[in-house]
Amino acid sequence: MRYKRSAGSTVFDVLNYFFMILLSIAMLYPFLHVLSLSLSDPKLITRGRVSWYPQGVNVEGYKIILGSSQLWTGYRNTIIYAGLGTLLTLVFTSLMAYPLSIRDFVGRKFVTIFLTITMFFSGGMIPTYLLIKKLKLINTIWVMVLPGCISAYNVIVFRSFFQGISGELRESAYLDGANDIVILFKIILPLSKALLATFGLFTIVGHWNAWFPALMYLNKDSMYPVQMVLRRILFVSSASETSDLAAMRIAQKQVHSKNIQMATIIVTIIPILCIYPFIQKHFAKGVLVGSLKG
Amino acid sequence: MKPAVISCKNQSDIQRKNKLYKQLLEHWQLYVMVLPALIYLIIFAYKPMYGVIIAFKDYSMRKGILGSDWVGFINFTRLFSSYWFPIILKNTVTISLLSLIVGFPAPILLALMVNEIKSEKIKRTFQTVSYAPHFISTVVIVGMIVEFSSVDGIFNDIRATFGLDRIPLMAKKEYFRTLYVGSGIWQGLGWGSIIYLAALSGVSPTLYDVADIDGANRWQKMIHITWPAIKPTTTILLILNLGGILGVGFQKILLMYNTNVMEVADVISTYVYREGIQGARFEYTTAIGLFISAISFVFVYSANLISRKVSENSLW
Repeated sequence: MRYKRSAGSTVFDVLNYFFMILLSIAMLYPFLHVLSLSLSDPKLITRGRVSWYPQGVNVEGYKIILGSSQLWTGYRNTIIYAGLGTLLTLVFTSLMAYPLSIRDFVGRKFVTIFLTITMFFSGGMIPTYLLIKKLKLINTIWVMVLPGCISAYNVIVFRSFFQGISGELRESAYLDGANDIVILFKIILPLSKALLATFGLFTIVGHWNAWFPALMYLNKDSMYPVQMVLRRILFVSSASETSDLAAMRIAQKQVHSKNIQMATIIVTIIPILCIYPFIQKHFAKGVLVGSLKG
Repeated sequence: MKPAVISCKNQSDIQRKNKLYKQLLEHWQLYVMVLPALIYLIIFAYKPMYGVIIAFKDYSMRKGILGSDWVGFINFTRLFSSYWFPIILKNTVTISLLSLIVGFPAPILLALMVNEIKSEKIKRTFQTVSYAPHFISTVVIVGMIVEFSSVDGIFNDIRATFGLDRIPLMAKKEYFRTLYVGSGIWQGLGWGSIIYLAALSGVSPTLYDVADIDGANRWQKMIHITWPAIKPTTTILLILNLGGILGVGFQKILLMYNTNVMEVADVISTYVYREGIQGARFEYTTAIGLFISAISFVFVYSANLISRKVSENSLW
């Protein structure tokens, strides 16, 4: 309060804070509601008594979903896809971005144009599908990992970041007899940990949440990622697919189908909630903001 | 005079060539590094682009892309005369425009309001909360929508307190767009504000101090300092958004729609998925994709042209 404040200014502040609180509630409430539905007594759910805190206690939904082999297969598959996919993305993006970050790399302009074109033009859904089919990638792990592995946007951000690292480091490493591969892995990448962590986490989240490639390219239950398992449990009405939920409920009558569905949602978003603080940390560092600007 | 110039040019040519050979020999590793990504792009980005030519062909898997017969614009005329075309076009444009009109200004307003928060701690806490929905998967979002709008869900609880009767909202045509656009804003509002807040973080605090000395009130500061700082970002994002008007994402709609709401929910991309992947009408749906890309390009191009004339902010 360096200068006197008008009454209008104070009213604005009060309204602003009030609105922010309202908005925060709107952002958080759905999560709380899902959590309390997953934990509530089935009878009280039926009577519509559940709001933001659980009514009664009931962990049957969790028992059923955590006891289901489908969920664990889904989890295992997703972890494999996310791990391999993220590793490949980071390695290939770094490999491509490093030469582009060197100003006197002959062919830099050609490679940049070649890359930028893919940012603005794409074949679209059907030609991509036909290609994947022709390459015989359907029902393989690669179909969940390769499409989208290298994106022009990522390469450009990596390149800009590498350019920020002093070129003199590279020059002196050359004089010491190091080659470019050594320089990239021993000097550049260790200095880019924040970048790798940020993009790594985002790629993991992307893989974690992906379900559409699985719908298009996989038709074996044993290969489905966790989002596909979730989809089958949540949207039971889709007539063409077997009702997994009904099968689960036959075994257990003391449970509302909402208990199981909401428990599954919670179980699948917990890993994201665990990663979120780390992503948040990098917001604070401004890596992401800088890269979004660039 | 002339020969000298030519020899000079030759010399620089030779120098360039020498430089290339020298680099290839000394820094061959650099080329090895770029190679995997180049091969990847040729296969996964350029081959599908080449595959687009089946839009003009009678595609047969056996004959392949090159061997199939040319049919001209038949696939396009088939689209324009299709019964579904006006419906999906109207739905796509309606949903897009609604999302744009409501969803585009919302993050800007939010960024302006967050910018007015003095306490850094409160600012950060609010941002943590508002970014969270962005990280939730489409399946979970639609799962929540389905649950909340079920007859005994929370939306109907709210309706009931106002004395309205309980109805299955997901099965009602008049609520589909509201649910789609509303959930989209819930998910994207906080995240969308990041880019504006980033632009605002570049504003020098002295500008505000000087304005204070000149006796400007908060509203005047917002109009004359804050808004000009985010105007270029706003323009560029608006141009990009106009390009995406026909590209309504299919993932959420694919999970949300059902036979009851098909009439208002079916958009171009879901139609392409159904006809193309499930119905195996590859050349027809590729033609639709190409048509959409062409229109989108025209949109971005003209929006950019207008913006460059009017406000000097443009993509290129």
